[in-house]
Amino acid sequence: MEDVQVVAMLVRRCIAGDSAAWEEIVQTYSRRIYNICYRFAGSGDDAQDLTQEVFIKMYRTLPSYDHTKGAFVTWVTTITRNLLVDHFRKGKQDRMTDSMDTAASEHEDAQPLSEQIPDQSAPPDAHVRSREVSESVHAALAKLSPELREAVILRDLQDMDYREIAAVLKVPEGTVKSRINRGRAELARLLQRTYRQVM
Amino acid sequence: MPDHTKNDQTSNGMRCNEFELLLTEAIDGVLTGIGLDRFQAHARVCRTCAPLLAEAEAGRNWLKGLTEVEPPASLVTNILASTTGVDTQRLQATVRSPQPRISWWEHVQAALFGSVLEPVWETVRQPRFAMSFGMAFFALSVGLTVAGVKPADLREVSLRPAAIRHTYYNTQARVVRYYENIRIVYEVQARLREVKRNLAPAEPGLKQTRPAKQKDDKNDTTQQPEQKQERNYSQIDDHLILASAPLGPSPSVFDGSNHDPSNPDLPVVSVTTYRRFV
Repeated sequence: MEDVQVVAMLVRRCIAGDSAAWEEIVQTYSRRIYNICYRFAGSGDDAQDLTQEVFIKMYRTLPSYDHTKGAFVTWVTTITRNLLVDHFRKGKQDRMTDSMDTAASEHEDAQPLSEQIPDQSAPPDAHVRSREVSESVHAALAKLSPELREAVILRDLQDMDYREIAAVLKVPEGTVKSRINRGRAELARLLQRTYRQVM
Repeated sequence: MPDHTKNDQTSNGMRCNEFELLLTEAIDGVLTGIGLDRFQAHARVCRTCAPLLAEAEAGRNWLKGLTEVEPPASLVTNILASTTGVDTQRLQATVRSPQPRISWWEHVQAALFGSVLEPVWETVRQPRFAMSFGMAFFALSVGLTVAGVKPADLREVSLRPAAIRHTYYNTQARVVRYYENIRIVYEVQARLREVKRNLAPAEPGLKQTRPAKQKDDKNDTTQQPEQKQERNYSQIDDHLILASAPLGPSPSVFDGSNHDPSNPDLPVVSVTTYRRFV
């Protein structure tokens, strides 16, 4: 994904005060970090704030990056993940995986997720249906526990390999695989009532 | 989660926990050969692991269907501004090129009007506020007119400190004069003086000092004009009157021994008044 030498040179230029190098880093990784934050936090505004916080922390701790210890993307993702966990703990949003029939939250009119997910039996438009499906999956993803959510996000949305994920999450690869499997299965169970034909 | 206690091992020798470990590799398509055969055989016969495989595959497909979201256009700019504090030249150019140059005065105006004047203006525009403002202005103008203040006079007002001080003392004196000329005020003051004079004990030395005081105030013609005229032309009780000549033909009236019959020219009665002038 990244040429280690090129990134190391970019980091050295950035540490030396080259603003163009820092801008290049921001341009390269902002989209990726924003998507991780968006899928984890569930809100665009939160994702934007968290992405800025990630880069602020990255800018301050950039001299501590050692390219011999791991890829730059792993280092960046680790910072992102740590900030997301901190954000989650601060917000006390530690919601375990909910059943489809339980209320999503107090602020969602006490409507079960199965009712929030639109019925696809008669979609008026394919584009609208695709958007609704994406929103449904995004809502179901937010229902997963943080451990399962971060694992499946890093694996299935960010295409990181198990070793990198294990480095980011600081858990063994076997634990990573187990969390990914459980996360995928839980997500499927959350969505299966509405989208039975996919199963 | 597979039930490891009930169906821990199938006939092909694969345990459920081993199946779970190979599940990710099987879904990713990296599991091949005999390992894949054993995995598929276990999935066919195990009632716990088969649904797990199906759910995991479905979940992966759902997640793979999610597309990347587009970050906001201002994200990079905000990040650069929050980290380096300033935008890069290229970003400044992209941001500034479509916008006209705004002077500092326009910035100040925008800040003032946007934050301070806009809410005030919104309030002022309401008819009830305009009516109240009009009534207040009318009352103020009437009050100033009654007080004798004319706008033309304000043009000649000097704002030098000495002039302001002079105006202050003039105004104060005018107010005091007005106050003391009120009938009820000077009547009360007169009564008070009278009461005080009556209550005060008589001082003997006061009469003795009075002529001296009058002497001192002899040039003061404003307070006692009539007294001065009397001092010159009227007789005061203390003045001495002397009678010096015999009167008329009947000297017996006064003193018969002093009568001189040889002098017939003498008047019958002669009174001489000696007035001692002060």
